[in-house]
Amino acid sequence: MEERHKILVLDDDGDWLDMCRDFLTQLPSKPDVRTVSSGMRALSLLDAQPFRVLLCDLKMPRMDGLQVLSIVRRRFPELRTVALTGLPDSEFRSRAYALGVDLFWLKTDMQQNPKMFLDCIEALLGRDDGGFRDVQSKSLLDVIQMESALRNSSVLRITSGQETGQFWIQDGQIIDARAAGADGEAAFWRILKWKGGTFESLPAETGHIQTITKSLDALLLELAQAVKKASNPTPAQEAEETTFITRLTAVAYEGAEFVVTVPAKKEDSAKGWGMRDVDRLAAWTRLAEKAAQRLGEKCGAGPWTHIAGHNLERHLLLVPEKGRTFAIGWPPEADPRRLFEQSKRLADTWAS
Amino acid sequence: MGFLNWFAKPEPAVQKLPSGSFTVDRHGNVMTSTVGSDYPQRLLDEIAHEVLSLFREARSAQMPLTGLDMNFASLRVTAREMQGGAIIFLTPQNTFTTLSPAGKDSP
Repeated sequence: MEERHKILVLDDDGDWLDMCRDFLTQLPSKPDVRTVSSGMRALSLLDAQPFRVLLCDLKMPRMDGLQVLSIVRRRFPELRTVALTGLPDSEFRSRAYALGVDLFWLKTDMQQNPKMFLDCIEALLGRDDGGFRDVQSKSLLDVIQMESALRNSSVLRITSGQETGQFWIQDGQIIDARAAGADGEAAFWRILKWKGGTFESLPAETGHIQTITKSLDALLLELAQAVKKASNPTPAQEAEETTFITRLTAVAYEGAEFVVTVPAKKEDSAKGWGMRDVDRLAAWTRLAEKAAQRLGEKCGAGPWTHIAGHNLERHLLLVPEKGRTFAIGWPPEADPRRLFEQSKRLADTWAS
Repeated sequence: MGFLNWFAKPEPAVQKLPSGSFTVDRHGNVMTSTVGSDYPQRLLDEIAHEVLSLFREARSAQMPLTGLDMNFASLRVTAREMQGGAIIFLTPQNTFTTLSPAGKDSP
């Protein structure tokens, strides 16, 4: 029995998720559609089971879509991704494409052209070759290895967009390669870097001049090393990702909306997560710190331990921690009596 | 016998922590107060000034606040915004005081 592809839809709007589920189940391949409303939940589901396509909203509280996509890109490189947004913002579009999404759709376009949208998703579900992430290279390599194992002689012509290249294979060994502006080994590497395309097998050309002397095994070994080097993150990158995931987990666990760290020195810039306008909040945080410091001294009340502000939309807690101040946003329904402890815990995790 | 006073040590001046509440208008003028009259008016004005200034700055930073709690080692200043002015509660803290940053059990 053929296994159904799985689609994961991530959006903070429950009604939209219901609509998407109904909509996507109309696809001819009848995919298994799952929905989640938070980035953390999406990442844990992707970790737990294989999905074929992720449809991700960009504007979400806590972890926004671009953050999710940047993690997904590194951790699940074979996952097809579709960015969905209600904002016709070209910056979003370019940032999403820079993160390697396969498709970018405006929600309004999706509703106006439902058939085209479904066709695109169906194409993504069915696409086994082409596209990014070395899939095409692998299938091309499969053919080369098969020709090598059978000790065949042939010419492989590869077309990728406007570019064409050729491999000359003789008795299972690649003896020459040509691509626009390159030949020999340089052409071999260039063709393997192409992100997608088609190839056809042509009859062998006897007497073709040999420019590649390395065995196919040696070339493949070099390729494997190059791919490993490119795909393996450095220890620094791994540490950075681990820190990022740890922090996100802490934020999701505690239920905070955003975290902004404000260094004591004004010239050091504040960093924020889950909030766009960091500078404005950082400026107010510095004012509040100074006001509290002045009051503490004048009234003889000692150093300030934390400052809490609130309005109908959220609670805001300022907590000093290791030479900087954490400004942490909490949803309005959070229990204010627990917020100081929660903020302190979150700041501790963040700082560690 | 007055000369004996020359040898008396001066009493250390311990600044008392304020306790009570007061209201201020949008200009920072104290309108009503239950804080002891021995507490310097100047310091109440300072507290009012800082609190109103933070409410004002929060508004101009597009995040208007309705309440603000400043917690110190030995004092808690709780303020509620009131049409540009504020009502401010001053509660001395000690080891046995339960800290609660904002909200339900606030005055």
